[in-house]
Amino acid sequence: MEKGIRKYFVIFALPTMIAFTIGFIAPFIYGIFLSFCKFTTVTDWKWVGFENYTKIFFINGNLDTSFIHSIWYTALFTVVSVLIINVVAFAIAMALTKGIKGTNLFRTVFFLPNLIGGIVLSYIWLMIFNAILQRFDMTIVTSQWTAFWGLIAVVCWQQIGYMMIIYIAGIQNIPGELIEAAKIDGANAWQLLRNVTLPMLMPTITICSFLTLTNGFKLFDQNLALTGGNPGKLSQLLALNIYDTMYGTTGWQGVGQAKAVIFFILVALISVTQNKLTTSKEVKG
Amino acid sequence: MKKKLVSAVLVSAMAATMLAGCGDTKAPASTQTGGTTDAQETTSTVEAGTGSVYMLNFKPETDDAWQALAKTYTEQTGVEVNVLTAADGQYKTTLQSELAKSEAPTIYNIGSTADCAEYADYIYDLSGSALYDHLTDKSLALEYDGKVAAIANCYECYGIIYNKTILQNYIDNYEGAVISSVDDINSFDTLKAVAEDINANVDAINEACGTELTEAFASAGLDSGSNWRFSGHLAGIALYYEFKDAGCDLIAGQGTVTGAYLDNFKNVWDLYVSTSAANPATLDSGTYNAEQELGLGEAVFYQNGDWEYSAFTNPDNGYIVEASDLSMMPIYFGVDDEKQGLAVGTENHWAVNAQASQEDIDATLAFLEWVITSDEGRDAITNQMGLTAPFDTFTGDYASKNAFAAMVNTYGAAGKTSVAWSFNATPAVDDWRADFIAPLTEYTERGGSWDDVKTAFVDQWAYYWDLQNAQ
Repeated sequence: MEKGIRKYFVIFALPTMIAFTIGFIAPFIYGIFLSFCKFTTVTDWKWVGFENYTKIFFINGNLDTSFIHSIWYTALFTVVSVLIINVVAFAIAMALTKGIKGTNLFRTVFFLPNLIGGIVLSYIWLMIFNAILQRFDMTIVTSQWTAFWGLIAVVCWQQIGYMMIIYIAGIQNIPGELIEAAKIDGANAWQLLRNVTLPMLMPTITICSFLTLTNGFKLFDQNLALTGGNPGKLSQLLALNIYDTMYGTTGWQGVGQAKAVIFFILVALISVTQNKLTTSKEVKG
Repeated sequence: MKKKLVSAVLVSAMAATMLAGCGDTKAPASTQTGGTTDAQETTSTVEAGTGSVYMLNFKPETDDAWQALAKTYTEQTGVEVNVLTAADGQYKTTLQSELAKSEAPTIYNIGSTADCAEYADYIYDLSGSALYDHLTDKSLALEYDGKVAAIANCYECYGIIYNKTILQNYIDNYEGAVISSVDDINSFDTLKAVAEDINANVDAINEACGTELTEAFASAGLDSGSNWRFSGHLAGIALYYEFKDAGCDLIAGQGTVTGAYLDNFKNVWDLYVSTSAANPATLDSGTYNAEQELGLGEAVFYQNGDWEYSAFTNPDNGYIVEASDLSMMPIYFGVDDEKQGLAVGTENHWAVNAQASQEDIDATLAFLEWVITSDEGRDAITNQMGLTAPFDTFTGDYASKNAFAAMVNTYGAAGKTSVAWSFNATPAVDDWRADFIAPLTEYTERGGSWDDVKTAFVDQWAYYWDLQNAQ
């Protein structure tokens, strides 16, 4: 068997490797290269060195804070959405593994929002939010904080169901004997949760927090459709800020590309750290 | 054996799905080799048929007509014509990715002189082309770097669209009417008096005239689907007067603006907001549909352009206004109302890709000439796309049928000067507009200071101008 795998490894892995190289690795490396160029189209570039990177922060000789603003705004958004999504999804998952009536119906209902695309979902929510806020003479983009909580609401509503499914799978995988043993030992509900369920769920928590973290940083559709970066550019998350630089500012494609490289480094660092942290807490079987 | 077969099928299926996206789906055109153009100086009379044409269309609503026209041309001459239409608002994105391909568009759209700078390497000099010869008003061509960089393929006008039937009805049947003829509205002050009167007495007017008005001006939405009417078009009038005073090119503009006419802008803007039924605090919610308000006879005035004509006359939209109800007046600005006509200009210019092979360029020029001279082409542009073309070949049956566009000549005959589209000079146009709309929204919705609006208008202009021209 071992031998067979080694023999056919190339046949099985090659197509994917080729596609991955063409579709991901090559454009990625080319993208890093382009961040050091001034370009209109990707085939028509001129080397400018680090100019694009300085332009992110210094424009016309002045410090420009719009990128820094969107970094901390995105970071805050990610922290809040990761916490809410995971806590709520876990709570619902716990409730829906207790065997109450209609469990399957509830699971389906909670999962449904995830089936609607981000743009459509945001337009629907935009109407709901504005209809409600109209009574208070406000709109979703009245301030960056109304926009912030609007985005949080939409993203939570969309992702909680998905994470819930993963948590349910994780909870159902915990061996019944463990829980039974703990109960016989006299553990109460809190101790059971704290000392049995949560440690056994660490792999699931790793996955769910990784997914929500990267989703938070990469969020684009909902941002574009719900707030469009308004008011001003104050509710621009990183991805939208990069898009806006790339296509909104004439001749700034290179700067947009440089922002994207910084964005990549940031997200890679954070998610690798997060993965290390939560993986180290996993129970080794 | 079976297992091997299954795994072989799986592998090929996987490979197929992974690689499917990489394939080139475009039909193979005649052989074309990037930038390696052979020396062609001796064979300038290349017969159409050796090159191919690839047009990246700017106006999504004209896609069907262009596709049909391309097919007709291919049937008649055998020259392959591809037309790709970018999604609404995605033109720049599409153009940048298409230009990078080996089979790049040979015709693409350029909006302004600022665009010329960005696509400088892709601009073919059109000065000797038949297209340029047929152009009636040479100021509708964009010149850049000593070249005729792009030629307008239609021109458009904007102003205040109004429902003349309702207005006449108001004059005839409402006792308190402040004017005695529609033509009395010839300045900002009379427009303001009429709009305020209608808005204040909506119920009495409805009762006297049998109308279903809710407001005078259609809502001035500050959401991204509508705010360009103000950051672009309305601000364009302020820019026009400023450039006129400065004596610079009215469309190319200059690096600094002073906001000298922003007080006039403020008066007009306040009028739009205060004589509309829309709640000023929620104008950026995106829930208002100004076109519909005018179309359903709820509003009398609506600032927009002649491209709205097809929307109002399209029976599918279910509007109750008819072509005979519609007319357009200049956006009276309180500066030189006696002389001011409609704002006439365009953001639609054809540019030919200089990096295409000479065969393709020749085929492209031949195609464009055919479009503006043949019966099929002229019919498509005037009657199917509803555009007003600026070429001397569009006469008789092919003259524009757009009631708004016709008003350009009416005002011209009355001795009024058309306002140039000075907003075409806007540097980093999306950024500048966003920076201008933010304080305008603050002012309108939450009592923000007008000074902030003025600061954004003046400072951001200089800022983005420097940015755009700093190399």
